[in-house]
Order: sequence, then C-alpha cells, then structure tokens
Amino acid sequence: MDGNELLPGTLEMMILKTLSRGPKHGYGIAQHIRGVSEEALKIGEGSLYPALQRIFVNGWVEAEWGVSETNRKVRIYKLTAAGRKRLANERRTFDAMVLAIGKVMEA
Amino acid sequence: MNTFFRKLAWLAHRRDREAELRAELEFHLGEESEERMSGGGSPAEARLEARRELGNVARVAEETRAAWGWTLAEQFAQDLRYAVRNMASNKAFSALAILSLALGIGANTAIFSFMDSILLRSLPVDHPERLVILSSWTKENEVHGMNLHDDSFLPSGTGYGDSVFSYAAFAMFQSNDRLFSDVFGYQGAGDLHFAAGDRADIAKTEYVTGNYFQALGVPPVAGRLITREDDRAGAPAVAVISDALSRLRFGSAENATGKPVSINRRPFTVIGVAPPGFFGADPGIAPDVYIPLHAIETLARAGFAKQSFNDPNTEWVVTMARLRPGVSREQAQEVLAPQFAEWMRTVNTERNRADLPRFVVRDGRAGLNGLRYQYSRPLTILLILVGLILILACANIANLLLARSTARRREIAVRLGIGAGRSRLVRQLLTESVLLASTGGASGILFAIWGINFLTALIGNGQENFTLHAGLNWRVLAATAGLAIATGLLFGVSPALQATRVDLLPALKESRIGGGTARGRGIGSISRGLLVLQMALSLVILVTAGLFVRTLNKLESIQLGFNRENVLTFSLNATQAGHRDAEVYDFYGKLRDRFAGIPGVRGASFSDLRLVGGRMFTGVSVGGDKPRASLVVSVGPDFLSTMQIPLRLGRELGLHDMAPSHPAAMVNQEFVKLRMGGQNPLGQLVSFGSASCAKCSAEIVGVSGNAMVGRDVTDEFRPVVYVPYTMKVWGGLRDMYYELRTVGSPMAVAGAVRELVREADPRLPVSDLQTQSALIDGTINREVIFARLCSGFAVLALVIACVGLYGSMSYNVARRTGEIGIRMALGAPRRSVIRMVLGEVLLLAGLGLAIGLSAALVGSKLVKSFLYQTEPHDPLTMAVAAASLVVAAILAGYLPARSAANIDPMSALRHE
Repeated sequence: MDGNELLPGTLEMMILKTLSRGPKHGYGIAQHIRGVSEEALKIGEGSLYPALQRIFVNGWVEAEWGVSETNRKVRIYKLTAAGRKRLANERRTFDAMVLAIGKVMEA
Repeated sequence: MNTFFRKLAWLAHRRDREAELRAELEFHLGEESEERMSGGGSPAEARLEARRELGNVARVAEETRAAWGWTLAEQFAQDLRYAVRNMASNKAFSALAILSLALGIGANTAIFSFMDSILLRSLPVDHPERLVILSSWTKENEVHGMNLHDDSFLPSGTGYGDSVFSYAAFAMFQSNDRLFSDVFGYQGAGDLHFAAGDRADIAKTEYVTGNYFQALGVPPVAGRLITREDDRAGAPAVAVISDALSRLRFGSAENATGKPVSINRRPFTVIGVAPPGFFGADPGIAPDVYIPLHAIETLARAGFAKQSFNDPNTEWVVTMARLRPGVSREQAQEVLAPQFAEWMRTVNTERNRADLPRFVVRDGRAGLNGLRYQYSRPLTILLILVGLILILACANIANLLLARSTARRREIAVRLGIGAGRSRLVRQLLTESVLLASTGGASGILFAIWGINFLTALIGNGQENFTLHAGLNWRVLAATAGLAIATGLLFGVSPALQATRVDLLPALKESRIGGGTARGRGIGSISRGLLVLQMALSLVILVTAGLFVRTLNKLESIQLGFNRENVLTFSLNATQAGHRDAEVYDFYGKLRDRFAGIPGVRGASFSDLRLVGGRMFTGVSVGGDKPRASLVVSVGPDFLSTMQIPLRLGRELGLHDMAPSHPAAMVNQEFVKLRMGGQNPLGQLVSFGSASCAKCSAEIVGVSGNAMVGRDVTDEFRPVVYVPYTMKVWGGLRDMYYELRTVGSPMAVAGAVRELVREADPRLPVSDLQTQSALIDGTINREVIFARLCSGFAVLALVIACVGLYGSMSYNVARRTGEIGIRMALGAPRRSVIRMVLGEVLLLAGLGLAIGLSAALVGSKLVKSFLYQTEPHDPLTMAVAAASLVVAAILAGYLPARSAANIDPMSALRHE
C-alpha cells in the first residue's frame, strides 16, 4: 500500500510515531515503516516528503543536517514537544475511529 | 502565528530550502539504489527502479513546496515576470494600450475628484454627520427679508425653499435642547471694507451666532473663537479671521491675535484665527472674517433696519443645528414641524395664510453648499461621458488583446499541449491585462493631476478666492485603483477565454508566419461587436459635444438689449470707506464726472446692480395697486445712453433728475406690458414697498427697451424700474458699479481709473474691475466649460475609436495577405481591393451609426436642462456628428486599405 492510499492523516501519525523512538532521516522513516509493517506499507517518497514538510511547517518536528550511517550528509528529523502532544491526540482520535469502524463492520 | 513566521522564513530562504530538499531527495535515491544493488542487480537497473519509485522528482519538489502555501504567490510572481517581458517585447502595442487607458482613467479620476470635493466631502468639523440644516419652503416665491432660494432640496417646480429664518424663529429652535446640542446660524455680511494698519482692502465677512464655532467643533489656531458672551448687544466688537487672511495681513496667526482692525470704519479687535481648511458652513463661500451676529446692529447694513433683528417677519438667519447623540433627523423633523407650523400661525402676520411655510430638517454634513447645487448635475453628466470614454478605451484594448491572442494561438496551443491547465493560462493572461491596466491607471494619475488643475482653472474662471479644492486623496486614489483593476479584468476576460479555447491540433500545425488560415476570413465577431460599440459610443459623445457647442453659440448670440462691447465696470463702496449720507451722493456723482473726462471714455454712469450681474426683487406698486416683485435699479445720470439701451418713450434720467426734490423714474417695456397693460405709462406714479421707503414714489418719465438685468444671459426680461441713485429705496447707499463706455479697449483706461480713485480717496479700494463682456462670459461659464470639455472628450473618443479601427483593420489585412494576393493574381484591380477593405469599415461605421443615433436620441434627453434653445434631437448636430464619424472612419480605414492594395501578389502567394 502506498502513502496515497492511506486514510487521511494516518501517514503523518505514523511518521510522528516513528520519530517518537528517536531522530531519523527521511529514508530511515520510510525503511522503518516498511519493516515494522512487514512490507505491507511501502511509503513512496512522493508522499513521504510532502507529508514531512507539512509536519515541519506545523512545528511538530525539528530538522538539522547530520551524517547518515552510510556517511552521507542528510537531514535528520526530531520530534518536538508539540509533535509529541500531536501524536497523542492523533492516536486517541485514530483509536476511537478504528473502534467505531470495527463496530460497524462487525454489526 | 508561529506557523506563519516559519512560512515567511521559508520564503526568505527559498533557494537554500529548495537546494536542501533536492539534496535530501538525492540522498534518498542514492540509499535506495545502493540497497537494490546489494540485493543483486545492475547499478543502472537499480537506479532506474529507484527513480521510478521516486516518481517525478520535480513533482515531489512541487508538492513539498505546496506544503508551505506559497504556490499562488509564486505563480503570481511568475505571471507578473512573464507579463512584464511580454509588454516589453510588444512596445508599440503596450504603449498604445497604456496611453489610451491613461487618458480614460485620468479623465475619470479628475472628474471624480471634483465630485468628491463638491458632492461627497463632509465639512472639516467635529462629527459632521450630526449636523442638520433647518429649512422651510412655500409654493409661491415670497420675499421676507433675505431669502436665499437655494431650492436644491426640493423636486424642481414644487416651490421655493431656503434655510433662512427670523431671529425669533431661531430662538424658538434653540429652546429645543432635547433634540439639539446646539442651534447655530450665520448670515453673509458681504464684502466689507477691512483696514489694518494703513492698508485697506475688501474682505468677505460673515455674521455668526455666538455658538457657531463651538457647535461646529472647530478649534482656533491662535487666540480664541467667538463665544456666546461676544454675541450680545453692547459687547466689545470682536472678529475672528481666516488663517489665510492672518498670513496675508499679519504674517502669522499668532501675530494677528489681539490686533485692532477696522471693519467698515468701525473698530474691531481680532481675538483669534480659524483653522486652515475651515471654510465656514458653506464651502462655496469661505469668509475671510467672522463677526458676531449682533454686530449687524452697529455695522449698518442696507436694507436691514435695527428693528429687523427681532422682527418675526424678517427672515435673515441661515440656520443649522447639531443633533444630540442618539437623536435622528426624522425625530427632529417630527417634533419641530408641528411646532414651527403652530408658531408661524400665531406669530407671523405678513404671510399668505394659505401658503404658510412647511418645515424640513435636511442632512447638513456637507454644509449648505451652493457649489453642490450648481455643479452636481453637470458633474454627473461629465462623469457619464468620461465613463463612456473609458469603455471606449477598454474596447480598444480588448480588441488589441484579441488580435494578439490570435497571433499567440500557437504559443498557447503549445502550452496547453504540454499540460498547462486552462484556468492557469487564463489567470496568466488576466495578469497581463491587469498589469496593463494598472500601468495605465498609474499614468492616468499623472493625467488626472494635470486635468484637475485645468478644470480648477476652467471652473474658477479667474475668481480670486475660488474655494473649490479638488485634489487626490485616498478616496479618489482608491477609486482609481479599483477602476484600473476592474477595467483590466473587463477587457481581459473575453480575450483570455477566447485565446485558451484552442483546437490544439490545427493550431499547432499552423505555420509560424502564415497565421490563421484555420479561422477563415475577417475578424472575429467579438471584435466586430467591439468596433461597432466604439463607433456608437463615439457618436453619442460627439452628439453631446455638438449640442453643448450649439448651446454656447446660441448663448453668445443672445440679444441682451444693450451694447456689451467696450464697457469697463468696477465697484466702489464709499460708504464703507467712511463717506456719509448726503456727502456720499455728491462723492459718487463727482467721481462720475471725473471718469467721463478720462481721454478715451465716451460716457460714464453707475448703478447699484450691474446688467447681467445679479438681481434683487423689490415690491413695486403702480398707481397704488398691490405691490408685486420687480427689479429696481438705482442709476446715475445717463445710464441708458452709456449702456446704449434704446429709449422708447419720454426721456432718460439725466443730471437734473438726481436731485431728490422731484423724484422721476424710468421703466422698461416689460414693465409697461406686464404691469400697466400696455397703457401709456408716462406721468404714472410707482411706489416701493421696502421698509425704509414705505412712502417713496416716483413719476415715470421714460420707457426704455428691455435690457437684461439678471443673473445670467438666459434670465428673462423682467419688469424693471430705474430710479435715481439719490432715492432711498434701500435706506442708504451700498456699493456702486461704475460703467465707462470707451472708444478702444476698456482695460486701457483701468490705470487712469485707479489713479482717479486714489486721488479722490486713498482709502477707497477699487474692486471687481473687468470688462462688461468678461462679466457676461462669466455667467455662461458652465456652458463654456461644457462646450470645451465635451469637444475635447469627443476628439479623444474619436481618436481612440479610430486607433482601434485602424489597428483591427491593419491586423485583418495582414492576416488576409494570402487571400488578397490570390484575388489580385486572379485579376482583381487595386481599386476593388481598396473598396473591399473600406466597405468593411463603412459597414461597421454604418452599424455603429445606427445604434449610436438611437442611443443619442434617448441619451440626449439627460442633458436637456443644460441646453439653451437647442433641441436634444437637433438634426444639424446629429448630421454633423454622423458625418465626422464617417469621415474619421474612412481616414482610419484608408491606410490599411492602401497597404492591402499594395500587396505584391507574387510574394503573397510564395508566402503560403
């Protein structure tokens, strides 16, 4: 599944969640999501970077230039306090929605 | 908020940020391809795969950018850059477009700034919206004191109204302190003799009530203003002067304060100076000096006896009021109207009981504006005309843009072909037209500044202290900016839509040079429609101009009943300079004898009213019948012969008639016809119903031809009685207008006149010195303005329309080069090619003419009230206008027609 096919807002939420485990660069975020979801979610770069920029505009992450594991210059994103709060909020909304959808589907 | 600042910061470092994003994407690509390589596979394959996955790098970059929300602004900047490049690469087109727009918008701005200053601007006082004007009206024209008859607030023909009340009524209004925080008033004192130090001058003076300045909420710039304490009988004589006068006579406002001056030879003290920009309650008057209302009792004013002050039958206080906060004009009307009616019934004894005045509370935020009455309709008409000119200019530009968009079909097809959105293209084309319009608007402001100066000079017509200050302010500039953008959209929308409605394939196949074979022959229907519209509008403007020119011609050829050429007139006011009673008659008489002796002067006389210089009605009865309003003119000896008014019967008033012992009078033919049924008037007695001359009567000794005594040349001949100036019809003498009949140019003797007056009395200023012709021209100033401005507008309209016609036809000929070449190769003579092109021009002109004529027939009714002895559908005017239009159209069409005839068939065919 690509980022474009996700429910609106869930990609941002997953990015925030990924970053809550520690700073990462864009490629690392994509890798992480792909690995954890066992290849079910392949986030295309076409959706990843615009989403990252949206998050950045809102001040939920900070970015600074660093060096990757492969020793290349790369921008590394780090969750801010506002981002953490946002993640919690998103999480609550998402859980409520999943629960609701589940109820509808099982009725 | 933080978000917004982050966005701004991003914008500021946009280049860096984009480079960073690219670097980040590069990194991503690199990592991915490396991973693939380690998973087996050639580097090239891996890289290709990664790139596929990444999709369009540019697209990602674009979407990322969109996250920052500057897409619209960025596209706008792009469009703007593109538009500027485009304008620069089509210099002739852009210059033409900007010029015609600048003229159109400039003319609109200039006229609008006048409307703004005359019609829309409030008085420069505190809370002008709470000011009201108290006024009353009657069905019949009755004179009870100093009515103004500014009937602008009444539907025309319904009656006579003004805002002038007796002091008793004023006091009654003042007692309504629940409605009004102040009721205040004023009355013009006229041009008074004003001396400070050893310099004497004429100063426009106004009597104001004690609360006048307080009620208007105007602060002094120096000293203090008049208060209630100053406005009572017996108070020390004080005056407030205008800022302009204080600078002129005392150097500064501070200097003026406390200075002793004399007004009409009576001592006054200047207690303060009114702020600059304050023109009194009537912006059309702008007094130099304000004195308390009660000063009218000491400054004897002709026609105003002391007992008139409190006489409920003498109306003389122009009354305004300030509403208390929360009280509406309607409430005030509801309370005051019955109160005033009741008061009128009980107090007033002289009025016609069946036609007691009705009371009206009017909006007073702009003051009592005589200028407004005078200029509101003319300005509306002018605004309509310049609006039409702007439409003409817009049509022109729409046409040019249409022509150009056809030329740009290929470019636009290419853009659409590589995936540009239509709305995006329309937006870009509109940016171009709005940019054109804005540049036109900005240059239009320059035209407007020039136009405002020109119009001020034209309307002011040399009046010394002309108070109309039109200028650019934020309201005018906002209107201009709005106009520019609106016109940009107006003339841009249709070409933009048209241009982007392109059938891609044929357009792309078109050759670069050959142009539109795709859309056949001739110019498009929108373009034709615009040309016809332009022709029609030009015709309407031409007809309007023609009607005004005809009117001016008629006015200039009116028979006034006297010879206006070679007469010098000026005014002297010996009473103000200190001459008293019997002596002043002698003084005026002797001065006349001296003037008559100036070489080059054939005759000299004087009168208290100038011919075509104003009118003043007085009740006159013949043989004891009921007094009826007539014009009474006090004259010196030989008035008729000096003005060359024919004598019909009897004799004219000569030197021996000036002795008051045996009063004689002359009447005009109109008086004989209207008042005496055409009977022989000689020997009959006329008597005057003025307060100061209740029993004056005079014997009619002569009958003159009708000469125009009135406001202007279009005034009618009314009954006139000429009496010797020594007769005290008005209680005493006021200023006198001298008339000198000269052999050559009247102004040649002006120096000698000033010299003689200085010899007779150095403290006596000569004012209003001008020729009788100039005086008369001044009264038809409005018609002169109309005729000149509209002629200018008509020429402008014609030029704009012809430029449009020429441009479209040239373009059309250029496009049809191939077709014309074929025709000529097949044997069509040059003549028939010319005829073909001109035929199209004439067809358009003919259509425009037909529409324009019907529009002009309807529209010219709007200007009917400004015409004099000219019918709105004057056939001659229509014919001349139509002929000018056709000639202009042929001229505009001839050049393209000739270039069509000069097409070389061989090169035109090779061209294909």
